[in-house]
Amino acid sequence: MTKTEKKSFHQSLAEWKLFLYNPSSGEFLGRTAQSWGLILLFYLVFYGFLAALFSLTMWAMLQTLNDEVPKYRDQIPSPGLMVYPKPVTALEYTFSASDPATYQRYTNDLHNFLKSYSEGEQKNLTDCPDGSLTEQKGPVYVACRFPLFLLQNCSGLYDPEFGYSKGQPCVLVKMNRIIGLKPEGEPRIDCTSKDEKTATVETYPNHGIIDLKYFPYYGKKLHVGYRQPLVAAQVTFASNSTKREVTVECKIDGSPNLKNQDDRDKFLGRVVFKITARA
Amino acid sequence: MGLGGKKGTVTPHAQSPSPRPRRRPKPSKQTRVKRKKKKRDMEELKKEVVMDDHKLTLEELSAKYSVDLKMGHSPEKAKEILLRDGPNSLTPPPSTPEWVKFCKQLFGGFSLLLWTGAILCCVAYAIESYFSKEASKDNLYLGIVLSVVVFVTGCFSYFQEAKSSKVMESFKSMVPEQALVIRGGEKMQVNVQEVVVGDLVEIKGGDRIPADLRLISAQGCKVDNSSLTGESEPQSRSSDFTHENPLETRNICFFSTNCVEGSALGIVIATGDSTVMGRIASLTSGLSVGKTPIAAEIEHFIHIITMVAVFLGITFFGLSLFLGYGWLQAVIFLIGIIVANVPEGLLATVTVCLTLTAKRMARKNCLVKNLEAVETLGSTSTICSDKTGTLTQNRMTVAHLWFDRKVYEADTSEGQTGKPFAKGSDTWFLLAQIAGLCNRADFKAHQEALPIAKRETTGDASESALLKFIEQTYSSVKQMREKSPKVAEIPFNSTNKYQLSIHYFENRPQAHVLMMKGAPERILEFCSTVLVDGQELPMDEEMKEAFQNAYLELGGLGERVLGFCFSNLPSSFSKGFQFNTDEINFPMDNLCFVGLISMIDPPRAAVPDAVSKCRSAGIKVIMVTGDHPITAKAIAKGVGIISENNETVEDIAARLKIPASEVDTRTVTAIVVHGSELKEMSSQQLDQVLQNHTEIVFARTSPQQKLIIVEGCQRLGAIVAVTGDGVNDSPALKKADIGIAMGITGSDVSKQAADMILLDDNFASIVTGVEEGRLIFDNLKKSIAYTLTSNIPEITPFLLFIIFSIPLPLGTITILCIDLGTDMVPAISLAYESAESDIMKRLPRNPKMDNLVNHRLISMAYGQIGMIQALAGFFTYFVILAENGFRPLDLPGIRLDWDNRLLNDLEDSYGQQWTYEQRKVVEFTCHTAFFVSIVVVQWADLIICKTRRNSVFQQGMKNKVLIFGILEETLLAAFLSYTPGMDKALRMYPLKIAWWFCAVPYSVLIFIYDEVRKMIIRNRPNGWVEKETYY
Repeated sequence: MTKTEKKSFHQSLAEWKLFLYNPSSGEFLGRTAQSWGLILLFYLVFYGFLAALFSLTMWAMLQTLNDEVPKYRDQIPSPGLMVYPKPVTALEYTFSASDPATYQRYTNDLHNFLKSYSEGEQKNLTDCPDGSLTEQKGPVYVACRFPLFLLQNCSGLYDPEFGYSKGQPCVLVKMNRIIGLKPEGEPRIDCTSKDEKTATVETYPNHGIIDLKYFPYYGKKLHVGYRQPLVAAQVTFASNSTKREVTVECKIDGSPNLKNQDDRDKFLGRVVFKITARA
Repeated sequence: MGLGGKKGTVTPHAQSPSPRPRRRPKPSKQTRVKRKKKKRDMEELKKEVVMDDHKLTLEELSAKYSVDLKMGHSPEKAKEILLRDGPNSLTPPPSTPEWVKFCKQLFGGFSLLLWTGAILCCVAYAIESYFSKEASKDNLYLGIVLSVVVFVTGCFSYFQEAKSSKVMESFKSMVPEQALVIRGGEKMQVNVQEVVVGDLVEIKGGDRIPADLRLISAQGCKVDNSSLTGESEPQSRSSDFTHENPLETRNICFFSTNCVEGSALGIVIATGDSTVMGRIASLTSGLSVGKTPIAAEIEHFIHIITMVAVFLGITFFGLSLFLGYGWLQAVIFLIGIIVANVPEGLLATVTVCLTLTAKRMARKNCLVKNLEAVETLGSTSTICSDKTGTLTQNRMTVAHLWFDRKVYEADTSEGQTGKPFAKGSDTWFLLAQIAGLCNRADFKAHQEALPIAKRETTGDASESALLKFIEQTYSSVKQMREKSPKVAEIPFNSTNKYQLSIHYFENRPQAHVLMMKGAPERILEFCSTVLVDGQELPMDEEMKEAFQNAYLELGGLGERVLGFCFSNLPSSFSKGFQFNTDEINFPMDNLCFVGLISMIDPPRAAVPDAVSKCRSAGIKVIMVTGDHPITAKAIAKGVGIISENNETVEDIAARLKIPASEVDTRTVTAIVVHGSELKEMSSQQLDQVLQNHTEIVFARTSPQQKLIIVEGCQRLGAIVAVTGDGVNDSPALKKADIGIAMGITGSDVSKQAADMILLDDNFASIVTGVEEGRLIFDNLKKSIAYTLTSNIPEITPFLLFIIFSIPLPLGTITILCIDLGTDMVPAISLAYESAESDIMKRLPRNPKMDNLVNHRLISMAYGQIGMIQALAGFFTYFVILAENGFRPLDLPGIRLDWDNRLLNDLEDSYGQQWTYEQRKVVEFTCHTAFFVSIVVVQWADLIICKTRRNSVFQQGMKNKVLIFGILEETLLAAFLSYTPGMDKALRMYPLKIAWWFCAVPYSVLIFIYDEVRKMIIRNRPNGWVEKETYY
């Protein structure tokens, strides 16, 4: 029994060796050099042809695209909300007012994010009239200025720590850019604390108003320098509360065509985050 | 289904080395000894039967079995022996428990590949979920789906085979039989199971022999040994020792053969498994059988697929490590790639294709017991056929007549029409009278509705043949006998070798006619004249020579020849004369010779055509029979197993009038081998015989020798089919790659041993089987090529996802939708494809070279068509992303951000910002579109897979199932994409109509590319393109 097995093992080893290189026929991996050459040449030509064909169809497809506006925008009818500081592993902000190292990352993140909103960066932008859409026909599209001071305590202008050092952290809420979106009504971002006894939320600009003058957006290429409006939420923990943890929900309100309720998309017109202030 | 499993029923060898299951495993040494013993037993069984009871005198017998030859055993002693020896019945072959059969279906061959895939999936899921909280459940689902697929397919093929075996069960006759034994001096009826060695048994016509008997006395006893030896004629039995060979001596009767007529008394010399029949049965159930060819092919295919999968997996494992992925991620990629190579739907496809063919064959009267055996006939290169009952009708029939110095041929076909004949001759008139009147056979009652050829008769086979022949071609024998009643008779016996009867004819001067028939040379001795064209001529030398020539000619055809003569008794023997047959009181010489009639068990009508079809299909047909060489050779010539112009050594020697030893054997391709010659041959010599001759007949072979012949053919690399109906064929049937038993005449043992049963006993059905088997092999190739092709567009998205960090173009769910959804019906529809050329005109495939799946098929499916398909999918993918705002050049490297749930303002190429869910909807839309693109390119793939060499325009689109398949896959794709709720159920989204057309150019490209390829193959046979791409 074992004898035959051993023999067959040796045989198969020998067969493998012969398959790897067969000196009598000059075959390497079952093919001669010429045969390898032919088959590789064939595949080279074949794949070259396929690559060329693929490039051609891709090129043709790209010709049909518009540089300024994507062909379809039906996949993003309504904007999502995003918060800053940028969440890393979860939508949770944990800090200790007494230890700057715990919120350093947050304040840096906010400074970075607001850099493009600084006065210097916005000096070429236009002051647009409040309360109405800024519809433009081109060829030159102007961008409306978003003065940073509107964010008051969370603008970083008066408090470079964005309230973290005082235990009143700021979180910026931003509505996603969508080309051609024209909000109806009076859109605002409404932030509420899930537990009013533990903490209250203040929004800037007051009532979380988003001015219609920042709409519509005309796209990266045409609408150079566009700044989207921001809303800041500042959480203030109640002095009598021992619990220093609160969940805040922000959602778009006051505009019938901006959705804030979707079963699957938890960020469509809303965002929920948690703030924990440790001692 | 047990693709890859062993064929046929379980052999004790494979199952367990010891006959009885043991609770505790014994030390291996003992097992090995057991196994060796078993092996020795098998070798023992393969040897010829050795017994000496037939040589013993009655006294010696009586002493040997310590039994009184008059009184028999006492009932007590019989009981004692029964306890010692066990019942007189054959041990049924060990039956496999149902759950073992089921497990075989679940874990055999191809299923193993899927199980491995399923386990790998679970491993990958376990690793992922151990290290990360948000592990995607895809791998788990995939594992579950794979298991379900294997399970469902397993159940399906299990029930399929259970259905065939149920048909088998119905064949089993469960009637308990009785035997008449003498015990303690009294005759008693006992159950056959209770018969013991030494019992005295009485048998009579119509009985089944209850055990191996040594006859003590016999009265006109004849037995039908055809199921044991294959001899079609009943053999007479007496108490004389006539031959050294126990199978040929007259004084032995064998268990389970039939006593046709007469009666006999015998002593039981063996019971149950130790009988000759029992030894054959144990030999049969003890034989181990190899893999079916298709199982070997599937194994080969699994090797190739595994090699490709592991190669791809390892390559990309290295690549992903090089690209900076973590070890863990790389391992998950590795597993993912390996699993992605598993063709989930193929197992089901192959099973369904085989089942469809099995059903089609069942409709054509080939019942296949084992699904895998469906293809085996197609690969068959040698058919070893039994003669009696398979090639012949197993019914003596008049074949030739000789009168008026001329040989006339009779109609021997199954549906004998009794076509007109040289009926004008007066000689014929007399011959018919003699054959009808001097004949003891008669039709059994109440058969008027049946055609004459099908009616049952009483009496000897040759007499029955004559009776039927006269009834058909002349007139009613009954009326003839009524008109000319028999007044005296001398029946046939082996010393006389003639039969005589005297008949009374009314209204004739010479009222009595003496009629005689018998062995021609005996009959001639009585004759002084001969009847030619109604004229009585003197029997001269010339006439005698003509007679001799005719007798030799007919005898040489393997036919049994009878001579006929008559004489009108002088008018002195008037009405009422008392003829005395003991002291003969009438003249019995100077008779007038009339003619000869010869009989044979004729070949079935469809056989010669079937044999020639097998020939042209490159299949060697060998006759292996227990019958005599002359008869065997005659039938072989009759059906074309030895072709008309071919000669054996003996023929050449006879023609050239030189000794057989001087004939140049190198040029001889036909041979008739006698069993006794075969006995002396070494296996090398047998190989020589098998290799050097194309037309071979083995005569006088024992069951063991049939087995040796089959093994010899297999040793030479042939795939052997064996046909047979008798018990003597069953070891060979079992050993053969495919055993084919006869459904009507076949014995139960042979049906048990066979893999396929011809329900109509028609050898021609084998040709159908070969055709279907070859067709399904070709079509399975096409099916597999079709199914494998879509593997590339399924794997490449994942590979590019790893390499370029683009959003995943095709997800697990959509892959499963293709493999188990849209690809299924089209792949199966290829089983309905008709053959491209006459598949019965080509040689059988070489199992070593012509594989089901070869590197050319892989190269075509993976390297060429699959790549075009992948491009079609990617093109659609890029179109959708670009039209929604993500241009192709912005995609590479986007993966980490794209798949980050917390990043909800991912910016596209136009400055818009997307939430995670919004972009995932786009991604899943891409999956759907990629899926639809694969369906679109699979249209073209299906059409090109219809043919391997011909153009589709030559082949046509006649396959309605295939057209249905195309419609079905398209509708299914549309259904999956557009049905409301699919976004939640399967995450498939509706597509814009334009996206359906992205893949169409590639579909057209596939079609054109393959048509051009096939055109080159057709125009340049054996060219480079054929060598590299003809699968």
